[in-house]
Amino acid sequence: MTDDSQRFTSMYDECRQRVWAYVVSRAGRQVADEVVSETFAIAWRRLEDVPEPALPWLLGVARNVLRDNIRAEIRRDALSAELRAWTEDDVAEQVTERLNVLKALTGLSEDDREILILTAWQGLSPRDAAQVVGCSPTTFRVRLHRARRRLKQRMDTAVSPEPRMRNLSEEWS
Amino acid sequence: MNPIDQLRAARPAHLDDTPVDPRTRAAELSRAMARPRQAPARRRIVRPVWGLGLAGAAAAVTAVAVTISATGGTAPRAPSAQVISSPATTTPRIELSGRSILLAAAHGAARQPDVTGAYWHTVSVSRNLFEAADGDYTVVDPQRNEVWTPSATGGEQWSRTRSLGAEPAGPDDRAAWERAGSPAEIQVKSPKMGDSPKSKGFTLSTEPGAARDGHAPLVDGDKVFWLGRNVTMKDLRDLPNDPDRLKAWLLRSYEGHGTESDDPMSSDAWLFAVTVGLITDMPVTPQVRGAAFRMLADLESIEVVRDVVDAEGRTGSAVAIEERVRAKADAKAGEGILRNRLIFDEATGRALARDSVVVRPGGLQAGFAPGTVWNSETVLEAGWTDEKPAS
Repeated sequence: MTDDSQRFTSMYDECRQRVWAYVVSRAGRQVADEVVSETFAIAWRRLEDVPEPALPWLLGVARNVLRDNIRAEIRRDALSAELRAWTEDDVAEQVTERLNVLKALTGLSEDDREILILTAWQGLSPRDAAQVVGCSPTTFRVRLHRARRRLKQRMDTAVSPEPRMRNLSEEWS
Repeated sequence: MNPIDQLRAARPAHLDDTPVDPRTRAAELSRAMARPRQAPARRRIVRPVWGLGLAGAAAAVTAVAVTISATGGTAPRAPSAQVISSPATTTPRIELSGRSILLAAAHGAARQPDVTGAYWHTVSVSRNLFEAADGDYTVVDPQRNEVWTPSATGGEQWSRTRSLGAEPAGPDDRAAWERAGSPAEIQVKSPKMGDSPKSKGFTLSTEPGAARDGHAPLVDGDKVFWLGRNVTMKDLRDLPNDPDRLKAWLLRSYEGHGTESDDPMSSDAWLFAVTVGLITDMPVTPQVRGAAFRMLADLESIEVVRDVVDAEGRTGSAVAIEERVRAKADAKAGEGILRNRLIFDEATGRALARDSVVVRPGGLQAGFAPGTVWNSETVLEAGWTDEKPAS
């Protein structure tokens, strides 16, 4: 085995499932293997350019592959199916809060969802996550703050609809 | 509970890090490697090109753990037993009235000219410490960050980042690195993260990387910075000049817990975290920067020390607050104490740097001795320009 193929294989082993999880959370399982496969094909071709740690770079490539190859409506449909599966799986183990969080996540825009997923599920620092989405860490922090607020709003709304009704009745009285 | 923690806990099980099945692995590897490699037309670009965040290839808890250590935690009531003895960069020599030092800085800051331009332009160098995986030494990984923030709404924020090349942190570290054969690529450990499923570490190159440019529209078309809440350039320019009113303005975003976590956090600690950002990064008016120093002077739990040297070797005064840190929001064990400092020039009220010094090892800093400057961000330039960014 050459040095390059050794390096590539260990990079693959270290990152493949992380890249896969990212793609699934963006566009569902149906397209995930295809996108992951293409991502690593690109990584092999451009191995000279792949930095260490490789994960943020790979996620950035996967993001472009998704955008360029999977039409937006297909992404959306595939993801809706995926999200339904998340909230219907393992019913016995379901906790209301978990369902609530996932439902709130599904209600967000694609941009907000991506930022939250990179942070909470991929565990990237603002510096690395900013590289994936192509903005400065400063901008990422601001976007994360907004996405986080929107997620919380949705979670709160789902848990306690009462305050809203009360406000409404106050308006009417 | 913090929504990010809740979201993390709700991650579907099938997205966990389980091994890929062998058939898929074989198929994907052979598909990729069957293709020709791109001919290296240009000379080999030295890695790393990307910013090396602490999280890197690390586990899912990283991002929040890092932000907790930056801004979260509770302000300790009693001073810690351990004394900072900092061999490398800090030698506090004279204890003066902290208040008078901060008031001098407030005075100096308010006398600076107020000139604005098309872009607020900052150049800073952030440094993080890592433990080498083989051999007992510490590596510092500096990254240069340049940001252009437009004063007009509707524009884009531009950035340019460049890794400056990792190096042994101090003379002893350098000796140990040389004994290890002076490797150009240093394998380092990921910061320790409790029960993290993955802590393989990664490689830092001692060679500088290429510059990476990025640009993105302002959030909501006009938000430029985070100051307890997202603010516009106009919000920043319109902040109150009066310390009490500034404090009240900032505290409107305070909810009794850390900026990125639900750990209880005193209002002093919270104000300190937010105000350091204001003084260090943001284009507020000279009067507001002055008010910010006056506000810090009135906080109970701060300390002020003169003759502190920042990571660039510049001397200034520091205002500091202690913070308890944990590797994971719900971890009970391994709590450490960090001293977060703002280092400033007393005459002008300009920020030189902010850094975190290990007081009691624990959390992500478990492997570092008391006195170690665990991370820092030094400000090289901060000012207005009319020149277009990174062209």
